[in-house]
Amino acid sequence: MFFHIVLERKIQLHPRYFGPHLREKLVSKLMKEVEGTCSGRHGFVVAITGVEDIGKGLIREGTGFVTFPVKYQCVVFRPFKGEILEAVVTMVNKMGFFAEAGPVQIFVSNHLIPDDMEYQAGDMPNYTTSDGSVKIQKDSEVRLKIMGTRVDATEIFCIGTIKDDFLGVISDPGAAS
Amino acid sequence: MEKGGKAYAGKGKTPFKVVASKRGSSSGREKEPVNVSPVEIDSDSDSEGFIEEIDYSKSNGKLSSKGTSGKDGKGFSSGKAGGKGGVYSSSKKPPKRDDLKLQLETPSGARVVMDCEAADILQQIQEQMVILSEDPTIKFPLSFDKAYQYTKEGKQYSDTKSVKDILESLKNCGVNDGEICMIANSGPETVEEVYALIPSLKENRYENEEPIKEALSKLSEVKLPNICGRKN
Repeated sequence: MFFHIVLERKIQLHPRYFGPHLREKLVSKLMKEVEGTCSGRHGFVVAITGVEDIGKGLIREGTGFVTFPVKYQCVVFRPFKGEILEAVVTMVNKMGFFAEAGPVQIFVSNHLIPDDMEYQAGDMPNYTTSDGSVKIQKDSEVRLKIMGTRVDATEIFCIGTIKDDFLGVISDPGAAS
Repeated sequence: MEKGGKAYAGKGKTPFKVVASKRGSSSGREKEPVNVSPVEIDSDSDSEGFIEEIDYSKSNGKLSSKGTSGKDGKGFSSGKAGGKGGVYSSSKKPPKRDDLKLQLETPSGARVVMDCEAADILQQIQEQMVILSEDPTIKFPLSFDKAYQYTKEGKQYSDTKSVKDILESLKNCGVNDGEICMIANSGPETVEEVYALIPSLKENRYENEEPIKEALSKLSEVKLPNICGRKN
């Protein structure tokens, strides 16, 4: 889910940018450095919504660069265990399927797909019920529950389940066409 | 078993939330044994890997689901129900769900933002960036685009403020911010669906059932019609 949070970061600026537009330069550098990053603690920093405070700069010895502590507000996205997400299926294979909910990738193992859905290989691999009424394939939309997360420096991976009440396919691109 | 209780699985009644996986066994698990855990995944730390302890002791490697047989049979009817998502008729037990309570660890000072709120915020940012950005080197990162797309396509409500006001009232009966956010994001239609998706709410069912029902009926008034999912 999304959060609004205040974070702090030290931004280094070259002296050539000192002048009337120093603040703008700091903010744009902050945006470049921060937006799109991912940390285990906060999740994906989706966007900076405001700058709360820019502290006094500190000249770094030997380089002339100045470090400014910047407090900023941002929107972050972080999935939690137990969270319900609606995700779009991006790939299906015999091990399960991958889906995306915003910037987060979720893998649903075939053990966590209802037992009566079977893998069907082919051009468009899918999981289908024996009567063919429910199909999970690429671009299907599913509602899933997050069972666990793993975070590395730049990405968050989740595993999810659709093997529970009120989880499963929401929309099937095949049915719509 | 009362079938009509759900009105969910189908018959084209709800084009948006036609969800496939509803098994014959049930939703109510208020008094589950707490020590049985077919799936244990430690996800609460920041950077740990998946730690799975899945009990595959049952035949054919299917997930074991001890202690979860349905008790109250809240209308997760078996048989076909039409619509895109058929109801699964299954005698197999579902995985234990109470292990999967929302484990929200909000960093201090963080405020939970509903998807619909996030959609408004991100939309505003995007509009501002188009107008104000004089620096061509600043581009939206991929995660912004994906998050924006996610919120935009999943938008369910016509008025974010009303949603907030409606759900805010649930705080009085002990529903926390994370649960409120999940209700808003998943857009459930019945109180049973709420309890199935957010099992932690079942603990205070006697206290929150009526307020949740009220909130859902008010939410249905601000829901956008003809939502067909994120990929339409």
